[in-house]
Amino acid sequence: MIPETDSGYLQRLAELEARVDQARLSPEILSERAAGLLAGRIGCRIDEAHAHLRLLAGQQNTSVASVAATVIGALEIRRSTSLRQVRHSVEEALRATDQEPDQPVRVSAPDASYSWLDVVQQMLNALPGKHIVVVPVRGDDGRITDYECVAVSPGMRDLSGRTGPQLIGMAISTAYPDIVGGPVWRAWADSLTDGHPRSVEPFTYVHIDNGDASEHLLTVRVRPVGPGLLNSWVMHDEQTRLAERIDQTERLGNLGYGEWDLITDTTVWSDGLYRIYERDPADGPLPRAESEALGLPEDEPLRRQAAEEFGRGETIDLTTRALINGKVKHLRAVIDTVRDAEGRPRKVYGIIQDVTARETSRRKLAEVERQLHEHQQDLAAEHRLAAQLQHIVLPIPETPVDLPGLRAAVRYLPAEQASRIGGDWFHAALAGDGSVVLAVGDVAGHGVQAAATMAQLRHTMAALTMTTTSQPAELLAHLNRLLLALGVSTAPATAVIVRWEPATHACTWSQAGHPPPLHARAGVAVELPRPAGPLLGGLAHAEYGTNSLDLAAGDILLLYTDGLVEHRERTLSEGTAPVADLMSRVTAERRDYPLDVLLAGLQRANPDDDTCLLAVRRTDCGNGHD
Amino acid sequence: MQTVSIDVGDDGTLSAVLRGELDFTQAARIVAAMEAAIDDCRPDSVRVDLAEVTFLDSSGIGALVRAMKAADQVNASFVVERPTLVVFDQLNTAGLVDVFGLRRA
Repeated sequence: MIPETDSGYLQRLAELEARVDQARLSPEILSERAAGLLAGRIGCRIDEAHAHLRLLAGQQNTSVASVAATVIGALEIRRSTSLRQVRHSVEEALRATDQEPDQPVRVSAPDASYSWLDVVQQMLNALPGKHIVVVPVRGDDGRITDYECVAVSPGMRDLSGRTGPQLIGMAISTAYPDIVGGPVWRAWADSLTDGHPRSVEPFTYVHIDNGDASEHLLTVRVRPVGPGLLNSWVMHDEQTRLAERIDQTERLGNLGYGEWDLITDTTVWSDGLYRIYERDPADGPLPRAESEALGLPEDEPLRRQAAEEFGRGETIDLTTRALINGKVKHLRAVIDTVRDAEGRPRKVYGIIQDVTARETSRRKLAEVERQLHEHQQDLAAEHRLAAQLQHIVLPIPETPVDLPGLRAAVRYLPAEQASRIGGDWFHAALAGDGSVVLAVGDVAGHGVQAAATMAQLRHTMAALTMTTTSQPAELLAHLNRLLLALGVSTAPATAVIVRWEPATHACTWSQAGHPPPLHARAGVAVELPRPAGPLLGGLAHAEYGTNSLDLAAGDILLLYTDGLVEHRERTLSEGTAPVADLMSRVTAERRDYPLDVLLAGLQRANPDDDTCLLAVRRTDCGNGHD
Repeated sequence: MQTVSIDVGDDGTLSAVLRGELDFTQAARIVAAMEAAIDDCRPDSVRVDLAEVTFLDSSGIGALVRAMKAADQVNASFVVERPTLVVFDQLNTAGLVDVFGLRRA
């Protein structure tokens, strides 16, 4: 019964009422519904169900509406009654009426033992918990000698593993010998005598199974029902196990459970909720106002929406943030309400889950994705920069270039993979002394660093040929010193340099760790024998040898970087062979085979590396024609 | 399988075994491992075994040169051993056969 005079509750109720929009059922409608449900469930007539509700209300000293609400609450949970069951129940009810038109089933009639037991068993089937109904067994003198099990809850399984069908009909002295003469035994006799319910406080029950004895702590509530006694059993070690399971579940799921009774204004927290709020259980639950104050102001719209949903009587499910001990926690709350017959909330309970870890990993994932995206953009930017740098430092002439006595064509094949833009370079220009200096080079590595080293080499080379020397070996020695001076971490480089003297037709060349040029004349292409020379930037006192070459009119010389011939599965000479073949073919075909067409026909062997090609032909006269 | 494994013997020799394809993708890692090991151990000599290296590009050659420079810094000798034919070819082209202590095959 609701203590309407409790002003505290009314006030709390008023606080919520503004948000409550629950359809309110009148007591008449409630009892009609309850009677209908009850009649349908146990197979009695509607008017008998009404009578039973009134009887119950009288016994419990409460209103019919209240009993009706309880009945609806208990029976409406089981909604999954199949049509077959309904038909069966209807047929049963009709048959009962046909057979005994003058003796309808009387719900509380103690003398109609068959109907009484049937109803009791049906009630037990619908009730949660573990119950056994016993009836006294009397001797000839009318004294109680034993008790007999007559109805058992369907979920009941006793310590010996017996269930209803095995227990019904058994004598208590056989089923539970330890009960005989004990506190429960006495309570049964007393309840039968005075008709009052009793509770047997936790007592130790010794269970003997196959000679093994085990002790169990039990509480039994005894209520007189008709001629018998309804016993509700609570096994305390089971309760402990259940509590442990709940605790484990709370820990595993970072869950907590809280309850607010509006009538008594008491709040109960589970251990898990104390953990979530990092609060000592000894201090009791955090006052509601304080726990609400922990919520982050940014989440206010979410909380307002939840309050609206609560007002509509809906179950709330929201995730908000709370500042607990200086840490922001993401808490998911599922909040539901127990309402009375008038739909007024009596109890609010919530399951709270700490989902911070999930939220955190979601945020971290988003952050990693963002960084990855940035990194990709960085890579793309680096590639663009390297390509721009290369374009600025190394503009590739689109058509062949004429130099004194020579025609030169250049082709640059960038690496297939964007990030592999490398440090290949070429040089083909008149030197300060009137000679022509031709070169290609390759800086180890890729990207902006390699492109920067390439730029330094190329500009130094151009400057040296104008001011200092045009001799290939001397140029390489200078470049080697330059790279060494740039520091230990500078990647080494390779280069090949050819010097052509237009006046004397003298041709000399040197190399630094670089593949030798290919020389083709009238259908025969060969790799030039290399003078000594280690790569640039590796050795402090590197020395570079010089070879000379007889370059006749119409001869083609090809300078290239190793991307052209270097292959993961082939030796260098295997890589050179197809290039030499092509050069042999074109020089056999005609003396003026277009150089750019020749270069276009060359495919790079290593798609991971960029490749620079410089082809020159000695022209017959100073301004040369192809 | 690791691309590089490094052992330091009691005789002050740092032995490195390199494996697989020594290219752009591996070079930085190898350089870092070799430089760190040489700086830490200050060996008398450094030997690099290339028997299991199947391919060497200019970045891989650069990595070996940087390892050699790191050895020079601590006055350690530096030799490269057992290159395959392809790798020997590469080192020969780079003009490093002599400085790496390799006899011409």
